[in-house]
Amino acid sequence: MSFLISKTLIYAIPLMIVALAGVFAERSGVINLALEGIMIFGAFVGALTINLMQKANTFNIVTIAGDMGANWGKLQLFLLLVMVITAAAGAVFSLLLAFAAINLKADQTIGGTALNMLSPALVCFFIRLIAQQSELRMFKGDAASWFMVKKTMFGFEKSQEIGFLGETFLNKVYLTTYICIILFILLSILLYKTRFGLRLRACGENPQAAASLGINVFKMRYSGVIISGALAGMGGFVYTLTTANCVANGDVAGFGFLALAVMIFGNWKPLSIAGAALLFGLFKCIAASYSTLDINGDGVALLLNLSKDPVWGKVLNPHMYRLIPYVISLLVLAFTSKKSRAPKAEGIPYDKGMR
Amino acid sequence: MKKIIALLMVLAMVLAVVACGSKTEKPAEETKTDDKPATVDPESIPDTMTSADGKYEIAFVTDVGQLKDKSFNQGTWEGCKLYAAANNLSYKYYQPANADKATDDDRYDAMKAAADGGAKVIVCAGFMQGNALAKAAADFPQVNFIFIDGWPLEGLNNVAGIAYQEEQAGYLAGYAVVMEGYTKLGFCGGGGGTNPACCRYGYGFVQGANAAAVEKGINIDVKYSWQYGASFSASPELQTMAAGWYESGTEIIFACGGSMFSSIAAAAAENDAKVVGVDVDQSPESDTVVTSAMKGLSASVQWAIAKQYEGKWEEIGGKGTSLGAANDAVGLPTETWSLKNWSVADYEKLFAAMKNGTLVIDANYPTDNVFTLSNATVEVI
Repeated sequence: MSFLISKTLIYAIPLMIVALAGVFAERSGVINLALEGIMIFGAFVGALTINLMQKANTFNIVTIAGDMGANWGKLQLFLLLVMVITAAAGAVFSLLLAFAAINLKADQTIGGTALNMLSPALVCFFIRLIAQQSELRMFKGDAASWFMVKKTMFGFEKSQEIGFLGETFLNKVYLTTYICIILFILLSILLYKTRFGLRLRACGENPQAAASLGINVFKMRYSGVIISGALAGMGGFVYTLTTANCVANGDVAGFGFLALAVMIFGNWKPLSIAGAALLFGLFKCIAASYSTLDINGDGVALLLNLSKDPVWGKVLNPHMYRLIPYVISLLVLAFTSKKSRAPKAEGIPYDKGMR
Repeated sequence: MKKIIALLMVLAMVLAVVACGSKTEKPAEETKTDDKPATVDPESIPDTMTSADGKYEIAFVTDVGQLKDKSFNQGTWEGCKLYAAANNLSYKYYQPANADKATDDDRYDAMKAAADGGAKVIVCAGFMQGNALAKAAADFPQVNFIFIDGWPLEGLNNVAGIAYQEEQAGYLAGYAVVMEGYTKLGFCGGGGGTNPACCRYGYGFVQGANAAAVEKGINIDVKYSWQYGASFSASPELQTMAAGWYESGTEIIFACGGSMFSSIAAAAAENDAKVVGVDVDQSPESDTVVTSAMKGLSASVQWAIAKQYEGKWEEIGGKGTSLGAANDAVGLPTETWSLKNWSVADYEKLFAAMKNGTLVIDANYPTDNVFTLSNATVEVI
């Protein structure tokens, strides 16, 4: 059970944080289709930073990792630094979209699509230059051996039971998971409970009305897109760190587009988005780990046995398990899309003269 | 103003490119200086070189996956580079377009580019190149082709098929890990169960594990999967599946397929568990690697290219050569030996038996993945 929960979180966190990135842009009135592209860029910057810093032994990072027992906290600080760098990189990359969409009043869908095409190409180009191959890995070690928090780090023995909560939330987890959850909560409060958030949302609903009250729509939309870019860039790094062994290859397995779907699925509201991401992550996780999944702890992998059953196996087989997350998304969207309400002014370039 | 900004940006990009270029050369130089005098580190030979006349004699066309996959492609490429560097020949690699989804046409184009680029011998890695190779070899009769993991093509004397007895390497690895004391094993194969080399590895692995279990009088469990890895790539799903296996008691997984290694090693690092590498010694890649089922890719590629330059091509051309223990073309890495309960001497004894033919490993793997083994329970997933 704790395996299922922690793995679900690993799938759900990048989706959740990147969907929130989408919310910030769209609530300010700019459609951010470029989430996938920004994620790819963020993943690349993260992998590159780690690779270069390991190679150059910045902050004696390699020596520190050699004595993991005493120094895991320092490595977590290093991880935090890389998260900040990837967020900055994502923000810078998103400026391209902001400039096209806000200053040049370009079609936002096309601008976002262009970035989605530019990003993998650019990233592959640089990876070729730097690594002479089409993927960039960590210079030393594995993502898990460097950055994963394990119970042994808190002084527990490997075989020691530390209770359900401890096993789930303190063992084999990444710091990024908690940072993302905290950020998610803080930013949701920012969006709904502060003056800044109200103004941002106003610019996405009726920018002319907002401008008439003295709000600078350009500034608000720029802030929306930059926050969006920072979150998406960080989300890309979190994705590659937790699920791809910190490898950058110009691909994030479509998580950016999935995050867009999750955002619409969650009706542009943070709480619903968190639910949607968790639901999607849960089914993704079940599909990948059904062969050993033991939900009630009796030592029987129920889904595996079902898939081998002559009757049940016809319906519940590995292919079906892999289909389920997508089928569920389609079904839920089909039933909820009537209530779905996008920000009114999203996708429309702000024009002062239009009232 | 805008023009000046544009100019500055262009300059910045050019500088960035230049900076990246110079950075990459540094480590190569460093490794050169502290090299052991006797052996040349293949990593110290640059992957791209510029020949004076613009022609490249030794060409390498990659299989699906990365050039630097730390495994199949890389091992083959190192052989090409080492031979070329030792004999002062020009060399170049060609990656078929569309990466993992390369078609026969893409592979043919890569071979054609190699032949047009002045190649005298083209090393083609991977059984999937068969169709493209048949066409290219007929179109360029003056060029010789070395078909790694391949077979002879009818009527084409310029193709040398080189195959390996992977079942022997798999057997050695399976035997070794069970003798070391592991009883819950896993096997993750690439190619979706259609790649003959991976199938032989897997079949050899379970046979070896079973033989060791019989000798120790114990029973072992093996999880056996062809899921996730049809294109030999790493994926979050593969990592989750492997983590699930480790979580439920699997102690060691044989990661049999190029870049799939990253996902499985990551899952192993999460769970402080172990991995068996494939094709080349993968222990430098991760601390989780216990041993590797190796093919002597580098050595056999050099051996085959030498046939071309020593004028003995007819010894291998138009024929299929199967290399195994008898040719020292398979084995486990003894230099980075990490097993404690089973020594290098034990390994050499087993290897010698394989070499002189007293120990024969069945290579005819069951295509339905149903194994009948006395002491091993194989659970196909």
